Amino acid sequence: MRFLRKLLLPVLALASLALARSSTGDSVLILLDPSLKKENFSVFFGDLENKGYQLTFRSPKDATPEIIKDDVAQFAHVVVFAPNTKTFAADVTPQALVSLLSKNTNLLLALSPKQTPLTSLASEFSLILPPPGTPLISHFPKRDTPATVIPVDAPAAYDIISPNLPPVWFSGVPQALGNNPMLVPLLKAPTHAFASDGDSDSGADALVEAAEKSGEGLWAGSSLSLVTGFQALTNARATWVGGVEMFSDEFFNKEISKGVKSGNRQFASDVAAWTFQENHVLRIDTVEHHRVNETLPSETYTINDRVTYTAYISKYDSELDVWEPYSGIKDLQLEFTMLDPHIRTSLPPVAGEPGKYSVTFRVPDRHGVFKFVIDYKRKGWTYLTSSTVVPVVPPRHDEYPRFLSAAWPYYAGAFSTSAAFVLFVALWLAGDDREPKKSKGAKSE
Amino acid sequence: MVGAHVLFLYSLLVAGVQASVLTLQSPRLTISASDATQLRSEPLSLTHKPTPPPTLGSTDVLKLTFQVVDEEGKGVQPHQTFLRFYDPVSGEEGVQPVKVTAGGKAKFDLNMARPPASLPPTTENPLKVSLYIGSFVHDPMQFELFDLVVPPSQPPAQHPDEASFHVRPEIVHTFRPEQKVPPKFISAVFTLFLAAPWVVLLGLWAHIRPQVPHLFSPSILPFIATLGAFEALLVWYWVDLYLGQVLLYGAILSIPTALTGKRALAAVGDWRLGKSSK
Repeated sequence: MRFLRKLLLPVLALASLALARSSTGDSVLILLDPSLKKENFSVFFGDLENKGYQLTFRSPKDATPEIIKDDVAQFAHVVVFAPNTKTFAADVTPQALVSLLSKNTNLLLALSPKQTPLTSLASEFSLILPPPGTPLISHFPKRDTPATVIPVDAPAAYDIISPNLPPVWFSGVPQALGNNPMLVPLLKAPTHAFASDGDSDSGADALVEAAEKSGEGLWAGSSLSLVTGFQALTNARATWVGGVEMFSDEFFNKEISKGVKSGNRQFASDVAAWTFQENHVLRIDTVEHHRVNETLPSETYTINDRVTYTAYISKYDSELDVWEPYSGIKDLQLEFTMLDPHIRTSLPPVAGEPGKYSVTFRVPDRHGVFKFVIDYKRKGWTYLTSSTVVPVVPPRHDEYPRFLSAAWPYYAGAFSTSAAFVLFVALWLAGDDREPKKSKGAKSE
Repeated sequence: MVGAHVLFLYSLLVAGVQASVLTLQSPRLTISASDATQLRSEPLSLTHKPTPPPTLGSTDVLKLTFQVVDEEGKGVQPHQTFLRFYDPVSGEEGVQPVKVTAGGKAKFDLNMARPPASLPPTTENPLKVSLYIGSFVHDPMQFELFDLVVPPSQPPAQHPDEASFHVRPEIVHTFRPEQKVPPKFISAVFTLFLAAPWVVLLGLWAHIRPQVPHLFSPSILPFIATLGAFEALLVWYWVDLYLGQVLLYGAILSIPTALTGKRALAAVGDWRLGKSSK
């Protein structure tokens, strides 16, 4: 099997040069604002199509194709590029978008300085947006683009963004992050950028007053995020982008510095790859548990048993569209829980067997109904959860230690009683009926 | 070559027209205690940071004053005059806009008794304080002013789920200690005590010398053998069998035992009555 795959690998690689499949599906619905032209985003959409996605375009106000029909998600991914639309069609409500996440559909949502239905949805994701009409501006570095078009350094964030990218052009709104750990900030704002509606120096006073009045203060500095990912508990991903222009052809082709093109194209491709669940996707194939010297699981375990627990984990390879065993998780933990974890131990990968993680431990000496729990959550990766219920019983009557040295006197006593009984019976039955000496003469022997 | 010269001259010209560099005039740092006594007051240099780094107690007040001027010396009110407090170790950051008058005069007060919301959570590490000046008409400027030491604050509030995103502490179950078994020597000694009755018995028998002439007669020996088998069954039960099995085997074994026992008793009865001698 492995040999066959080794043969197929180069063939497949040749056949699918740019192909990178998503683990959840290929159909993408793009809600494109009528004010935006599809041709202005031709490079981004062309890259998606080259990867193998089927794109369907629709205006946010159209009624069809619906995103959810009969409670079934119709597309694997939904992209909302609607910065100027005040109201969406009836099927695109914030509740519908959230229920898409629970149907394992990924979302790529673009915000805008104008108030759209997405503005209030962003706060459900622990993103705090500045007041409407205040895009991000930056006077640094000195450049000939307007203050709202900002070059932003794009360091490799969580292995999702490629390393050594040239700065990307950005225009839109920043998001202040709540402390929700499910947020994955992919692009942080530059330290000198801030949100403001000013266009001349006379706005300085208004800026200071707004900062003092508003509850959250000033949207400024590198704690703001411009492109934020969110990994829901259902493992669907939603990425919030501060502005739709960073996906436009104009920004893709704009030069960051002399002769150096911006990193927008690769950045957009990386963001789409993570959002559409092409990479950083894991799953638990199967879990096994058994006593140390056995191979099949038992119905119940006894206290103080030594039990081996094994998990098989795969990672999705988007180029080959297969799930491959993955041994790269170094900090996986197993909990053996009854209401509270009684044991929490690390589940290390087994050397020599890819994808297998195994640990042997001693079952606690409390009986009850326990669970083997794997709960692995890391930023940027899918969440691994697994829970296997197993009863733990006290020892049966014949499983206690026997033949103890403290019982030797009792064994000796019992054996000597038995021996004495048999000897007595033998003696009594087999013994001769000796006459007393007096009456020896009367009877014959 | 000529083209390069032309380009250079052109860029100079362009720079000359658009370049309008701002700078800070007379930046001054003052630290005073809560009762207005001055603890420290010095002008700030824009090129090196003051040593030792300014340190604030929990009630001290830091005052920063400067004037933003362009290269002609005229006061300017830029669009962005921000102080940035940054802790490079923890990554916490806070940005505070500074109020600048139309003439470019700026004043900033930091009262540690009522710290502004923009002061980030701090530890013992110093905060780097920098000043950003941005404007729509002038070139932007950035100055690293000083390192500030403030009292440590509460750490930032963590989300309740935050711990599950990192490695959690290991939990090891403390088992009940193994049951202690008394020393084997003591068990051996007391086992030997049990030999004492046997010593007495065997001694007395040696004295009496009882005889068992009928032991191997065909009416006695089978019964002794079945008794022995019963004892063997009980030993087997002790080692291996379950109750149901031993009761079954015992029931089966009880039949020959009863039969041979009857025969043995009959034989003994006969001998008692003198009817036969074997």
